[in-house]
Amino acid sequence: MGGFLLTLALTSILIFALTNVIPGDVARRILGREASQEAVNAKRAELGLDRSILVQYRSWLGGFLRGDWGKSYTKGEPVRELVLSHLGRSLELGLIAFAVVVPVALGLGLLAGLRNGTRTDRAITVLGLCGTATPEFVSGVLLLILFSVRLNWLPSSARDEYGLKGLVLPVICLVIVCVGYITRMVRASVVATLERPYVRTARLKGITTAALVRRHVLRNSLVVPVTALGVQLRYLIGGLITVELLFNYAGIGSLLLGAAQEKDLPTLQAATMVTGVVIMLTFVLTDAIYAWLDPRVRVGKAR
Amino acid sequence: MSDNELQRQWAGELADLARSGAISRREVLRKASVFGLSIPLIGAVLAACGSDDDKSADTTSASPTTAAGAGTTAGGSETTSASTSGSTPAGKGGILAVGALTPSTEVDPVIGYDAASIAIFQLTHEYLIWLNPDFTLRPQLAESWAPEEEGKRWVVSLRKGVTFSDGTPLDADTVKASYDRLLDPDSESAALSAFDGVLEAGGITVQDESTVVFDLVRPYADFPYLISANTYNTVILPKDYTAPYQDHAIGTGPFVLTSFSATDGAKFSRNETYWDTGKPGLDGVEIKFYKDPQAQVLGLQSGEVDTQVTSIISLLTPVANNPDFTIDQVNGTGVNVFTMRVDQAPFDKKNIRQAVATALDRQAINDTLSNGAAALGNDHLLAPAYPASPTDIPQREIDLDKVKELLAGESVSFKLTFEPPLKDFAVVLQEQLKQAGISVELDQRTSDEFYAGDQATDTPWLFTTANLVGWAGRAVPTQFIIPMIKSDGIWNGSKYANPALDAAADAYDATTDEAEKKKQAKIIAEAMHEDTPVIITDWSASVRPYNSKKWTGISAHPSSFVDFNDVAPV
Repeated sequence: MGGFLLTLALTSILIFALTNVIPGDVARRILGREASQEAVNAKRAELGLDRSILVQYRSWLGGFLRGDWGKSYTKGEPVRELVLSHLGRSLELGLIAFAVVVPVALGLGLLAGLRNGTRTDRAITVLGLCGTATPEFVSGVLLLILFSVRLNWLPSSARDEYGLKGLVLPVICLVIVCVGYITRMVRASVVATLERPYVRTARLKGITTAALVRRHVLRNSLVVPVTALGVQLRYLIGGLITVELLFNYAGIGSLLLGAAQEKDLPTLQAATMVTGVVIMLTFVLTDAIYAWLDPRVRVGKAR
Repeated sequence: MSDNELQRQWAGELADLARSGAISRREVLRKASVFGLSIPLIGAVLAACGSDDDKSADTTSASPTTAAGAGTTAGGSETTSASTSGSTPAGKGGILAVGALTPSTEVDPVIGYDAASIAIFQLTHEYLIWLNPDFTLRPQLAESWAPEEEGKRWVVSLRKGVTFSDGTPLDADTVKASYDRLLDPDSESAALSAFDGVLEAGGITVQDESTVVFDLVRPYADFPYLISANTYNTVILPKDYTAPYQDHAIGTGPFVLTSFSATDGAKFSRNETYWDTGKPGLDGVEIKFYKDPQAQVLGLQSGEVDTQVTSIISLLTPVANNPDFTIDQVNGTGVNVFTMRVDQAPFDKKNIRQAVATALDRQAINDTLSNGAAALGNDHLLAPAYPASPTDIPQREIDLDKVKELLAGESVSFKLTFEPPLKDFAVVLQEQLKQAGISVELDQRTSDEFYAGDQATDTPWLFTTANLVGWAGRAVPTQFIIPMIKSDGIWNGSKYANPALDAAADAYDATTDEAEKKKQAKIIAEAMHEDTPVIITDWSASVRPYNSKKWTGISAHPSSFVDFNDVAPV
């Protein structure tokens, strides 16, 4: 817990320092290049940007801890609502994508592992690699052209008004990227498990393949996507920028990008902090699930 | 309002020019709208034109497709614009979905400067005068206007019976309050810069309930442009207006705001108490934000939106090939200016500046970046779309032998500073100049960094050796020339100073005589072309794609403004 808080404190200092060295002038940004210099200077004073960095940091941190995250410079809305609603959407998209990716990757990985060396195995591996290697802005545009423009089956954006229907294409797009990686990890784990002596023994004792998979392989293979979860969830929360931009999904990734581009400091600082907290929580959570699935980790810790 | 003595005099001068063939019928209409002449007086002036130049005048329009707004009659009249677009009964028009790039700033009529913000408040609010796509003026909240004292004073009569969407009547006090808000020396609005040297705080007085008087700092014949949509922050707001816009969007405009999200878009329904009876034809408008220009085009193709606020020509190829869509196009006065510091090496030598200008293949730039839709520039700020633009200055063309001659063996290299939207332009310039042996180091800054700093001492866009700056269109050329090229101009990035040009710019604004305007314009253009403090390779065209299977009455606007009053389903 102490480490957690220390990390957060350091993160906040780092964020504040970094956002303050981004070149540019917030006041000029807000008023536009054709506003008078006097108006810009006055705006800077109004925003408190003429105070020393230390004073600005103290006042920002105080506000942040009290829950007063300020008002967005460029959207005019309260930052807290803005950040939390965008984070909520990102989590929603991330979790839906994960809920699709995990069973698909488990199924494909198991199949490939059990059929190790066959054509099925090779097809799954190659297709998975292709998916991982295709950038989202390519697969996304192709999906949009096919399903929205040509067939007109699905909306071309993931606006709130379209509900779940709008999420279909972004989720497919994410599945294409993530599924190959996890499939490969599951496959490797399955192959390794099948070569273990106890599996051979079980086979000799006449266990059916279904029972083997259920009792021995599956539990070992489940550990894999959970480990991957830590890595992938981080991507699904902060790294979704391309998908969010392409499908106009109001998630935290595009909020961060926009805030950085527009020098919207209150939003940028709050969104980074919140993302940091979520990622740290994800690590804690994945460690816990990992320990639950793999007794060796628990035993190791207890010693 | 009947015409006053000054209007009759200016009308007489117009008629003389028309009779001598010096100006076209189209130009007569445009000037008549600026001077606020009455219909009978316009008729009398037009009679002087005869009818034989109708065709030649019309070919000056670059609008290949129907431009509803462009056909509007000018002048101080109640116009019946674009009746060709079908007379759908009011309120049977459906909802028009419009794509826009997510605004990069808060939507606010007083300080907003980005195209999506402007489009949003233009649906709910109105100007005294609307700027048509062909640069004629159309009365909006002003019913008529007339100059006095040689154009140093302008009297504006307001439309009667107009109410805001909350029922408050529009009166002269409200108009004065709106302008006072913008002209306050502490105002944060860019409009303050637009009125600089023409109209100051305290310059507006209320004559009676429906008449306001503008007393200017100097005579200004084109003043009606400054109180039109051309100065986009001048929408008339309620006296007690305060930001945020979405909470206080009370206007006189054709639509009322029903919902707003800074990330998703805005929804509007028709204003049932709109003064222009029978309009708008639509039930409502929905503006949908896109974070990415490519996604915006896909939204248009998939039918999520029917049209766009702003468009990037080079992305529209798939739409252009689709028979369901029409792309309307107008000549604009928007421009990307390549500025060189004449007080710094290497550009302190005129021959070097001319060499750079002569090394550029302007047609290739136009073809590459604008699909050939732009009008070629000639290194002066009198765009071909301006009536006073001189036509007898030879077009500067690529001539590598001449470049060699101008450089006389000197090797030239420089750093070109720009912001991301002009990256493609910068790369093309670098490549072309390389062919001529001129080496360019590209120096891309973020937009924030490019415009940061003090405009009097160090901001990159006004103080780097060479830079590229994009400018939105202006209806009057001196709105470019006075701030950018005059010796004391507030945005004079080249630091060029030429007293003869300064005098000509002032004389241009002061005169109402078209022949005199052309004379002064030529002095300015020739000086700029010869001294080359800035390079103008082309003047951008403005386009607006729309689904013409579903809608009529949508047109492009040189400043990407929106006027959906005459939009109707097919």
